[in-house]
Amino acid sequence: MSHRVSSFSLSSPNVPAAVWPALWCLLLVACIWGFPYAEGVLRMLEPDAKEVVYHRASLASLLGHHLLVVSVAALITIVGGMLAAIAVTRERGRDFLPLVAQVASLGQTFPPVAVLALAVPALGFGTLPIIVALVLYGTLPIVRNTLGGLQEVDKEVKSSAIAMGMTPWQVLRQVELPLAAPVILAGVRTSITINISTAAIGATVGARNLGDPIIAGIVNGNMAYIVQGALTIALLALTVDSLFERLQELLRSRLSTA
Amino acid sequence: MIELSHVSKRFGDVAAVDDISLHIEKGKFCALVGTSGCGKSTTLRMINRLIEHSDGEIILDGHPVAAYDPVKLRRRIGYVIQHTGLFPHWTVARNIGLVPRLLKWSSADVQAKVEELMSLLGLPVGEFAHKYPHQLSGGQAQRVGVARALAADPDILLMDEPFGALDPITREKLQDELARLQSQMHKTVVFVTHDMDEALRLADHLVVMRDGYIVQQGTPLSLLQHPNDPFVESLLGGLERGLKQAALTRVKDHMSPMGPTLPAQSRIPAAFSLLQGLSMMLRDHTDRLTVVDQHDVPVGELTLRKIVKEAQPEQGKVRES
Amino acid sequence: MSLLEALPRPQVSWRQWQPNSVLIFLACAMLAAIWLFDVVSVAPNRIVSGEGAGLIDAVGWLGALLVTSVIVTLVALALQPSRHGYQVALVGVLLLLLLMPFGLMVASNRLISGDTPGARLNMGMAYWCLLSFLLLCWVELRLRLVLLRRWTILLVLAVGLVWSLCATLGLEALALGQEFRARDAQFWRALREHITLVVVSVAISIGLGLSLTLLMRRYSKLQKSAFAILNFLQTIPSIALFGLMLGPLAWLAAQWPLLSQLGVSGIGWAPALIALVAYSLLPMVRNTYIALEQVSPDTLEAARGMGMRNSQRFWQVRLPLALPVLLEGVRITTVQAIGLTAVAALIGAGGLGSFIFQGLGQAAMDMVLLGALPILMLALMADAGLGALADVLRPRSDTARPGEIE
Repeated sequence: MSHRVSSFSLSSPNVPAAVWPALWCLLLVACIWGFPYAEGVLRMLEPDAKEVVYHRASLASLLGHHLLVVSVAALITIVGGMLAAIAVTRERGRDFLPLVAQVASLGQTFPPVAVLALAVPALGFGTLPIIVALVLYGTLPIVRNTLGGLQEVDKEVKSSAIAMGMTPWQVLRQVELPLAAPVILAGVRTSITINISTAAIGATVGARNLGDPIIAGIVNGNMAYIVQGALTIALLALTVDSLFERLQELLRSRLSTA
Repeated sequence: MIELSHVSKRFGDVAAVDDISLHIEKGKFCALVGTSGCGKSTTLRMINRLIEHSDGEIILDGHPVAAYDPVKLRRRIGYVIQHTGLFPHWTVARNIGLVPRLLKWSSADVQAKVEELMSLLGLPVGEFAHKYPHQLSGGQAQRVGVARALAADPDILLMDEPFGALDPITREKLQDELARLQSQMHKTVVFVTHDMDEALRLADHLVVMRDGYIVQQGTPLSLLQHPNDPFVESLLGGLERGLKQAALTRVKDHMSPMGPTLPAQSRIPAAFSLLQGLSMMLRDHTDRLTVVDQHDVPVGELTLRKIVKEAQPEQGKVRES
Repeated sequence: MSLLEALPRPQVSWRQWQPNSVLIFLACAMLAAIWLFDVVSVAPNRIVSGEGAGLIDAVGWLGALLVTSVIVTLVALALQPSRHGYQVALVGVLLLLLLMPFGLMVASNRLISGDTPGARLNMGMAYWCLLSFLLLCWVELRLRLVLLRRWTILLVLAVGLVWSLCATLGLEALALGQEFRARDAQFWRALREHITLVVVSVAISIGLGLSLTLLMRRYSKLQKSAFAILNFLQTIPSIALFGLMLGPLAWLAAQWPLLSQLGVSGIGWAPALIALVAYSLLPMVRNTYIALEQVSPDTLEAARGMGMRNSQRFWQVRLPLALPVLLEGVRITTVQAIGLTAVAALIGAGGLGSFIFQGLGQAAMDMVLLGALPILMLALMADAGLGALADVLRPRSDTARPGEIE
């Protein structure tokens, strides 16, 4: 039940939905570009600190790295999760369905931090354990929603598709997947939102990303660093999330009206 | 032609269909009737191999169904179900054109066929082609369902309680249209229903099933006249059986030549049923009707005595001829 | 169009024989894991990474044979599945789970000699694989046998008891145990802090969530913006929200000394609690709202028809019927809060997360495990407990929990 209920949208009725992703994105770019020049403002937060602008790496490179890790993980999770869910709903893989469904719903109980923490002893520090942890954790909502979406497809529709002489592949491609798409997309959205957040915690295990300034700020008691990291990453999350919101809306309108 | 010989279907230890044999002539309309869970739908679905039979043999056009490739077999058999099973994400036109496109018809052919079927089923192309299933009423959706089943010109049409979810008025209208279509197209139809009146109206051959086996089969009239089992008799309406029989018999076949007496005031067209004649007599407090042809010219007369005494014909039913 | 076009291809009918491929797959994976990977590793002290030992080195030929034969029996049972066979397989899985700590004891006796008192025994890759595959087998068998919840709980408790007995009595060398003994007071305090933060934040969000939902039901204009704001909060990554809480609270504490006397400061429990409540509100409000809305209008109409007043309808009909879904919200919120509280350790809120981050900082993996494993167990326990509670409250007709396969 932990995937989002998509009917509650972030946008207010009088602002067109397409505005939000653009707005967040614009603010994100402004942060990345503007913080190095905003020493005066940041100085107000930390009047006593030696440095207020985060200089160890440019925010742009941290953002790039963050996005890279999350996208690689997302690519693997989407492909892997959907394939797994499709496989266990086919005739041959049906034996595995109860187990996979159970694991996918049980696995979401695992706190992402714990998964990340457990990946480090097994794989060491750096980017690899983060990607593995993100993949492990991010696959679950996708598997779960793909399963849910595929199982929600009206049995009569499926059986009439077979009765019309569609091959199993045609049924999957032309009927099941398009009808399950909104639910699958909601799963992808959940997965990626969680992964953006979890990847940031990965800064504590030596990955260089937008979590870095926050951790550095907490360790050094430098509020200015924290603000730079926190604002950037929050805007990144909002941009991506509102993009998905928009995508879901497009999909909904395509599915329901002429 | 469809031939089922000693066909059974077992799910685990339970026999859903138990040793049934059935012969359906090409171009005939066969109705499977029975209470829910009697195996009629299972029987239907074994014909297009949505369910594989466990025993016996099902033969289509001289070959056992097991020998056909199931996908190709299904593309050659129309299939209509109660809740239509239309694809909610496709327009009406795309839904109807499904099987022709699966069969790789050219898009012009598909479009022509879709338009032909839509007008055949009373769905104006301009109004409906681009609608989605959720924008249709139940009756309209089922018309689309029937059109989709007919799209690739199948010889065989399987219908699983197609009108079960519709209101009585829409249902009757669609029954009439199905009868009209069948009189033009002469498909081999297997029709599952629990509504005996529907079956009596439409079928050439009636099969009554219970608990997975066939209780009785034959023409509707022969069943009405000689139900061999209390169950069949109750399905056929018990005491009202006589009226149903009268409904299936035409005035034309029972009128006597014009007598020497004055023609009766009330007139009835020759194509009407005996039941309608009887009703007219009750209405007009008379026991005599003048039978007229389509030009309102008297051709004979119908008496109550005749209806009561001689409603035992071997002739066909209303729809034939 | 003739049917004959569909003719060619003769069909073969087959598949009368249906083995349980899941169990076979899991059993084979277990066999591969225990024979290919290191079962345990031994390290002379805390920081140095250990030296691995395979199955035979760890538990000897006899032990290896025992484990292997039990797993092979599982395969044999899965080839021709029956209810009876599944019961035997379940016994086999339980047996292996019970044997695992004894295996560690045997390994510590064989591999650690008396003259290295500081030596630590670590569970290796194969050990973790075996454990997780066994748990998967357990889940599979539970689903096949449709075990009742109380049996599951009973069996889990039994296995847990044996494990903890073994851990206290015969496993001085186990690294995790050493880590625990080295800081047991600290551990219990962290656990207490963790649970307190979770319970308090969930309790606050239940109260706030309920009142917010009631307000939203009264003023429908509020609904859209409230959900938009909660959604917005939920989207912000936890580490960012925790970080952003630091500044304002430090400032407040500096302005009002009373606050800082109460313990409010930029770091510590106060910012953590606020952020936790902010995160918990969305699932809480969403489920409460849905729970109250999904009560069948027919039922409410009937209640009205019987002459119940508005308040009576709410308290006697709507709320009791909504309770299971509402509890589902509490379950999601609690599980989420348990995980987020771990992140809160970064801003000095304490809790089990502090072991994780300290451990990561010192590259002491046993310490990381000491934090992560209890968090995992807490989450699972909260999930199972609240799930069971919701099941009890659910009307008899549909006892299946959403997400559980019937």
